Amino acid sequence: MKRIETSIENLKTDISNFYNQEKHHFVVMNAVDLGEKIEVQWFFCDYEPPCAITAFCTQIQPTNEIPSIRDLISSAWVAEAELVDLMDIKIENTSKGFVLEPDFESGPLRKKK
Amino acid sequence: MATQYEIPVGAQHISLLEPLHFKFITENEKIVDTTANVFYVHRGIEKACCSKFKFRQVSFVVGRVCGLCSISHTTAYSQVAEKLIKIEIPLRAKHLRMLVIELDRIHSHLLCLSHVAENSGFEALFMKTMQYREAFMELLEAICGNRIQYDFSIVGGVARDLKPEVGQMIMERLKKFKPQLDELVDIYQNNWSLSLKNKGAGAITKKDAMRLNVVGPFARAAGLAIDVRNETEDLLPWKEVGFEIVTGTAGDVYARNMVRLGEINVSMRIIENIIKGLPESALITETKAFPDGEAVVRIEAPRGELFYYAKGNKTQILERLKIKAPTFSNISAMVEGFKGNEYGSVPAIIASYDPCLSCTAR
Repeated sequence: MKRIETSIENLKTDISNFYNQEKHHFVVMNAVDLGEKIEVQWFFCDYEPPCAITAFCTQIQPTNEIPSIRDLISSAWVAEAELVDLMDIKIENTSKGFVLEPDFESGPLRKKK
Repeated sequence: MATQYEIPVGAQHISLLEPLHFKFITENEKIVDTTANVFYVHRGIEKACCSKFKFRQVSFVVGRVCGLCSISHTTAYSQVAEKLIKIEIPLRAKHLRMLVIELDRIHSHLLCLSHVAENSGFEALFMKTMQYREAFMELLEAICGNRIQYDFSIVGGVARDLKPEVGQMIMERLKKFKPQLDELVDIYQNNWSLSLKNKGAGAITKKDAMRLNVVGPFARAAGLAIDVRNETEDLLPWKEVGFEIVTGTAGDVYARNMVRLGEINVSMRIIENIIKGLPESALITETKAFPDGEAVVRIEAPRGELFYYAKGNKTQILERLKIKAPTFSNISAMVEGFKGNEYGSVPAIIASYDPCLSCTAR
């Protein structure tokens, strides 16, 4: 897996420069609670063998809002909506309530303080 | 503009096997828009895997993510854990994992095909397909001890060996199934009324499949040659045992049926080759190492690419486990695939998507 470190500011430009829908397949988004920060990851896989996996990674504060990539990858809204509910992070133009019911405890995958 | 109607389907509906809700906007019979709700039962399995279970126990937990493709989940998890503890599993264990994965693919594809037949109004074909599937459920029970949720792949290898008499039983069942598969192919391919209902229904193009990042038979039926078995040999040697990718072009319900039937044929060849050339070795690699670092694994489940991410911190409990099921990738395309179709085709289209909400809302 190839990790590419990015930032909230550069994320869309970096993914836009990398992603070609005929060459790459968007796999999913993931987030890991590191304690003070959260690492958000966007996974891509090449269509051509050996089908290398590339992960764009950025560390954010839980209060940061990260940009949505659905204007670059239209199917990314599902992964974004899931992370908003399960990790309680803020993503541009993404509201809560897709994966979990509105009265569910927010961010169940976050570490408890 | 024609009068628009709003028609809900699900979460409980006769043509749905899973808790899935669609809302269709139609102009008379033609679907012009669709919304979907696929997350009725979030089960918190990822959370449980990172808080309540030790990493060696997690393969038994993820085996409960799905009843239909549990071998794909346990194998993908075992592989990602083996990467974290840096071990190579014995060759016999690799072949036995592939054997069970392919038997599982056959029963899963037959289940999907039977429901497409049922939802297309062909009850007799549903019965026949399910009857043939039963033989594979019995084989899986003979190998793994369970009809579903087989705890076969474990961290380091496999939990059971293949007994010679079970190997013989598999070969006999495959021999018996070959003419039955030919019969099914003939019916799904040539039956006039079934073709009439399935051809052109729920079609997506290769370009749309790429744009929407579709996976599995759904993508391959549209001509997008994406199959994890075709891509990498580092974890399981698929090409060595006769894997060949099956694709279609039309991207409709009919093409999905044909791709699944073609894949059953390939799976049978893989199973035969594995049993004929099953290498002798131990079944498990023992180690006392703890998972460290991060790793990802992709595996081709019956519905497509299954993705596991795991992060360890040198303790018994994983820091993070992420599961991306194939249906999760196909949600956008499932919604788009309805547009322009007649409302009457909805049950067959849904069945042909072969959605697994159990995996998606793990």
